[in-house]
Amino acid sequence: MNNDHDSSLPEEPDLRALSAFVDGELPAGERAAIEAQLAQQPQAAARVAAWRAQKAALQALCGAPQRSERSESVGPSVGQSDADDEPAFIVVRRPTPWWQRVGLAACWLAAGAGIALALGPLAPRLTGGAWNGLGGQPPSFAERADIPYAVYTPERRHPVEVAANEEEHLINWLSKRLNRPLSVPSLQEYGYSLVGGRLLPGEAGPAAQFMYENTSGARLTLYITGIARDETAFRLFRDGNRRTFYWVSDRMGYALSGPISEDKLRSIAIEVCSALGGKPEAWQ
Amino acid sequence: MSFEAEVISWLPQLRRYARALTGDRAWADDLVQDTAERALARWSAFRPNSNLRAWLLTILRHLYIDQLRGRREIAVDDESAPWRNLEAPHGEVDGLVLRDLQRALYCLPVEQREVLLLVCVEELSYQETSKALGVPIGTVMSRLSRAREHMRVLMTEGPLEGGAVGLARKVPPLKVVRNP
Repeated sequence: MNNDHDSSLPEEPDLRALSAFVDGELPAGERAAIEAQLAQQPQAAARVAAWRAQKAALQALCGAPQRSERSESVGPSVGQSDADDEPAFIVVRRPTPWWQRVGLAACWLAAGAGIALALGPLAPRLTGGAWNGLGGQPPSFAERADIPYAVYTPERRHPVEVAANEEEHLINWLSKRLNRPLSVPSLQEYGYSLVGGRLLPGEAGPAAQFMYENTSGARLTLYITGIARDETAFRLFRDGNRRTFYWVSDRMGYALSGPISEDKLRSIAIEVCSALGGKPEAWQ
Repeated sequence: MSFEAEVISWLPQLRRYARALTGDRAWADDLVQDTAERALARWSAFRPNSNLRAWLLTILRHLYIDQLRGRREIAVDDESAPWRNLEAPHGEVDGLVLRDLQRALYCLPVEQREVLLLVCVEELSYQETSKALGVPIGTVMSRLSRAREHMRVLMTEGPLEGGAVGLARKVPPLKVVRNP
């Protein structure tokens, strides 16, 4: 057959196959084939021999019982196969019952809450007013809303992924991705019409951005995302000439951003909030 | 046999594996203890007719990998290297060879070392190994053959670095230096 090939450049069997051969993991047919190859290829045969020696040495090194004693030592023969100087037992700590752990956690929680309540009023004084409680920093979703506003509103050719002429598809799509029914409030009475929307990565899942535009080309965006924390506050976040009103309602965070005056944006935000089922009366 | 008794019956093997894996007796005993605790606490997660030993080895391995991450920053220098702390093994195989073998074993990356130990020392089948490591059999096979080859090369080059010659030109261990 290919004798010249075999003698000059013997084709080494696959290392994986050789390795499986050493462990007796090959089916009978392949095993025979390897055996035949080994007879002709001293290099492969040497490798197999080295690996077998390695295996035996590893067993000796790690104190594995030798073949003869292995058959007897199956079963609860604790410590028998091991070194004689070793204690043949292991102390297993009884796992703490779950109610104890829960109780302990609750105690710590209560203690933490107590400390927070006691120190809360002091915090602004301690930090010189830079940190004034939970309401001081905008929730990260409001900042997250501000970025795509800044990125996409100047965009002329591709401001949105799905345009307003496919509004039904847009709403179905984003509702599906945010896993709750969305609706797009009409802002026609303020002179803004819908341009379209896009899907964005939010803080804890997908977020939707709807874009509106008036006849002079000014754009507003409404950013919607699911949010774990529920609070009813209605706040303003400023960055440069952009303003973002944001609020949380029914575990959804909303942010309305635009370059218009605060009063105007505020009245639009109130409109949007009530159109989306929120309760803007609470803020007025 | 009760579940508990069955777990206990595997403890010596678990300890052997843990010692070989870590090269550190105290660490190995901690690992076995944690493994036994976790196994007894989660006995309901064990499917009755599957392989208890592979299941225990899987738990031990997860614990080891977790703890390894925590210990990674500890520099291994020649003084504290595992092959120095383990006493010279005795038996029919030459002790010096075993010392080289030990040294080579701890030069392997963990992925290669664990597969080598599971198959060669614990004599798990490829199927069981694949289950214990959570990788396909093909991966077990290629890792294993690489590990063997790696060991073989380390062993043939071994004497250069091991023994008296190695001691004479030993590289000083890394030291942590703090900026003033």
